[in-house]
Amino acid sequence: MEFYLAELMEIAGYGRAIFALWLLIRCALSMLREKNEPEVWAYLERSDGSSVPIHNWECLLGRSRSADVRMESKTVERTHAALQRSARGHWLIYNLTSAGETCLNERRVEGRARLLDGDVIRLGEETLNFIDLNAEQRKTLQRKRQEPGRRIRPGITLLLLTGFQLFLALEHAITAPEEYVTAVTGAFIATIIVEWMFFFFMRSLSAKGFEVETLAFFLSSVGLSVTASSAPSGMAKACALLLIGLGLFASLGWWLRDLRRVKLLRWPMAFLALAFLGFNLALSQEVFGARNWLTVAGVTLQPTELVKVAYVYAGAATLDRLFQKRNLLLYMAFSAAIVGAAALMGDFGTALVFFVCFLVVSFMRSGSFATVLLSVTAAALACGIVLTAKPYVARRFATWGHVWEDPLGAGYQQVRALCALASGGLFGQGAGNGWLRNVPAADTDLVFAMTAEELGGIVAFCCLGAVVVLSLFAVRNVGAGRSAYYVIASCAAVSIMMVQTGLNVFGSLDILPFTGVTFPFVSKGGSSLVSCWALLAYIKANDTRRNASFALSKKTDGDGDHQDFGEADEYTDDAPEELIEEPAPEQTPAPAAEPAPEPPAEVQGETKGEEP
Amino acid sequence: MKRIQRRSSAALLLAFLLLLGTGVLLFQLITRGGEWASYNANKGLYAANGILACGTLTDRNGVLLAVSEEGDYHYAEDATVRVASLHAVGDYRGYIGTGALNLFAHRLTGYNFLRGTTRAKGNVVPLTLDAVLQSTAWNALRGQTGSVLLMNYETGEILCMVSSPSYDPYGEPDESIDGLYLNRALSGIYTPGSVFKLVTLCAALENIPDIYERSFRCSGTLDVNGVAVTCSACHGEQTIEAALANSCNCTFGALALELGGDTLAHYAEKLGFTSAHSLDGAATAAGNFDAVAERDSYLAWSGIGQHTDMVNPYAMLRYLAAIANGGSVQEPTLLLGNSNGSTRLLKAETAERIDEMMNYTFTTHYGTNGRFPGLDLCAKTGTAELGDGSSHSWFVGYCHSGAPLAFVVCIERGGAGFTNAGNVANTLLQKAVELYG
Repeated sequence: MEFYLAELMEIAGYGRAIFALWLLIRCALSMLREKNEPEVWAYLERSDGSSVPIHNWECLLGRSRSADVRMESKTVERTHAALQRSARGHWLIYNLTSAGETCLNERRVEGRARLLDGDVIRLGEETLNFIDLNAEQRKTLQRKRQEPGRRIRPGITLLLLTGFQLFLALEHAITAPEEYVTAVTGAFIATIIVEWMFFFFMRSLSAKGFEVETLAFFLSSVGLSVTASSAPSGMAKACALLLIGLGLFASLGWWLRDLRRVKLLRWPMAFLALAFLGFNLALSQEVFGARNWLTVAGVTLQPTELVKVAYVYAGAATLDRLFQKRNLLLYMAFSAAIVGAAALMGDFGTALVFFVCFLVVSFMRSGSFATVLLSVTAAALACGIVLTAKPYVARRFATWGHVWEDPLGAGYQQVRALCALASGGLFGQGAGNGWLRNVPAADTDLVFAMTAEELGGIVAFCCLGAVVVLSLFAVRNVGAGRSAYYVIASCAAVSIMMVQTGLNVFGSLDILPFTGVTFPFVSKGGSSLVSCWALLAYIKANDTRRNASFALSKKTDGDGDHQDFGEADEYTDDAPEELIEEPAPEQTPAPAAEPAPEPPAEVQGETKGEEP
Repeated sequence: MKRIQRRSSAALLLAFLLLLGTGVLLFQLITRGGEWASYNANKGLYAANGILACGTLTDRNGVLLAVSEEGDYHYAEDATVRVASLHAVGDYRGYIGTGALNLFAHRLTGYNFLRGTTRAKGNVVPLTLDAVLQSTAWNALRGQTGSVLLMNYETGEILCMVSSPSYDPYGEPDESIDGLYLNRALSGIYTPGSVFKLVTLCAALENIPDIYERSFRCSGTLDVNGVAVTCSACHGEQTIEAALANSCNCTFGALALELGGDTLAHYAEKLGFTSAHSLDGAATAAGNFDAVAERDSYLAWSGIGQHTDMVNPYAMLRYLAAIANGGSVQEPTLLLGNSNGSTRLLKAETAERIDEMMNYTFTTHYGTNGRFPGLDLCAKTGTAELGDGSSHSWFVGYCHSGAPLAFVVCIERGGAGFTNAGNVANTLLQKAVELYG
């Protein structure tokens, strides 16, 4: 009998490694190799008769090399004007220059104006005809785009994941203490049921891309295995948290469909993030030197995890706001407050995660290396202050690269992590068979080594690979993104995940200083899991492959079940009322003091409040 | 959007860094995985009492040196072999840091990159040591403090490595003995005395073109700025060959003055005396040579192995093996069937000249009176004066013919090099040539 079980464990060990690798490759091929032709929303016809398709909801017109519609004429400024499409399908033109001239149907545009099909735009001496697409035309164009999953079917990939999970369940059923066998196997079965229900539910909404979710479920299953090894009594809770995360993923994804309502919540989100951190600073308790835990009604929360979601939400911006310096400054102040709060808590790793995310977002928003350099310098100074003020952090830096010199003291965890990592080989000691789980923080900070020890190097590196694939996918979708908001949000979300992964893996293995952040989805911990699922919604919201994402609005997709182009006027748009009613705006120039890219405050409507 | 698309390269940079880190991690895992996995916190490899759970160490002929099964361990059956091999083999309780049990823990347990330690059932790891020679060397030392090294200079295999004092690993170590756990062959550094003349000689041969035409005069003392550098005798007029055979301080002191401190320091470094080496992962102690800038008596003394000169026996062994092997050393190893590659230390031509002179020294001085019956050696003695009347006794060299063996014997405060260390070397070499000649 003993012999038989050992053989079974061994087969499961090979099986899960092969299935993990196979499903990662399938996801990568589907997400990174399959065509993602950009959508077409409108055309601009040049005077020579050629027409330029508009692929995004936001596009720049100008002489600059990086303009979406490029014009050669010297009378056109480098960044001259922008076209922007609201979620309801209205097009607006923004004048972005003070030197040049932007005219719509021979009326000068100051600020912005509503664009209609057939309008004539003139930038300097260049004229363009604007041709909007009606629902029928868009539908035809959409049909021509390739749907994902034709070659690499997501259902098969999910079957592989199910196989992976069944192997894990089998192994834990053999190794778990007797009283927990039911709970552990039950949790894996429940996860399998949930993922398939979610899969079919999404298909019923004709959202057929499921690779992003599959990768997240894969990482979550590895996390489940970690919990089963280190704290089998917490299986039911882990499952419940997965459900909460999934719920948040679905609802945030749905919420992101409509940019208008997204904008409504940006200020509240920013406020919430700051309030949460402030509250946390005042009331939290110290765990492992970091004041980053909050116990509310018996539930222990790590507030910074949830703040990540709000930070991305409030930090992304649509194109029209990117050209306003004030917005960037506000964003920098907001970020400084968040990073500073995390550093004050002594949670140096999280502060770094926020800071790198800030660098990525501010660079995407401004394109300015100067801003980035300035921020890095400021952060380096702050860092020096933290290092002198917080001996706890300084000690960790001192240990970096010297863990083998103090394997019983400062290098205790890292040395054991390295040892466990190497002893797992490629296929692992078997789920539940490791010893690293008895070392403090094995299931959070050292989770990569614990995974490698029990599930083997292949599965552990697949987890790393999954994060990389998600990130490359998000970057790849940037070009086809509808709005800068989605693009920036998805890049911010994957940046957070990548920095966390890097700090977790390399920190625990002495390639970087040990900061103790979580591995996305895998590390045990409710707040972390839930926030990772929520961050995933940002990636999903920028998945513009045809019929791939539930987080994209079907109404404007041309492919969905109901069209509402004709009803557009029923909705109040984010454009000011008078602009909607009167397509051609008044010609009176704005007061000279008014900065040109900024629409006059009195006609700005709800955009009066600036984004953080 | 195109603009933002370009700027999204910021996120790509992060992905690149993540992959770069993964590359570093994989590289380290491949190169250091065995070392990591064999750390004694590994519950899969170490029994509950902290003893390596499995694996067998033997000598080159299969004689058991150490074995463990589930923490139940044994050493060599013969008590002398146990004591003689303690420092080379190490002990299960972990007192000896540089022993083979530590160095080859991952081989003993059966670690490999693909399987980690999941299949760790224990391996037999044969060492290059010969248990018979270990005993011979130990007995020849007669309890004196010091170390003996013997290697095959063609293959790099270390046949004998003994450090004294030692103790029986089955018994309790006497903590009052100074440096009991130290492998003196690897971790000791000593004033070299006349054996360092081999370094000065190498520098002279390569930097003084007419050295063979010269005649060196010795009147018993060399006057350097009014300070006398003394010699063991008044050697009169000599060739360089005779000066080495006479171990003439006046000649080598004068050569040191002529060459200068920087040149000597350069040769000490080039020949591997001032840096730490690694014997299958065990770090050795680095020696010392201070380049004296002034042309004064200190410079002369440093050229004849006194002043602040310090030499590690293992580094000396490498140098001798290099001379014997045409200028490049087969890096030593303790692992049978292993090769650590070779390193060139000096020109083949220089090595050949030193070889001739060392053989001349042996045949005209040491080998007379039947002191080394049947042996044809290249050798050099050293009697390193410590200033308190005592001296370290060195005898170093290699077999000129018969067997490719290089040796270093160093006895702390052992008196004259020739009589004391020479006798130990003779006893060991007689046995070694009988077995491997």
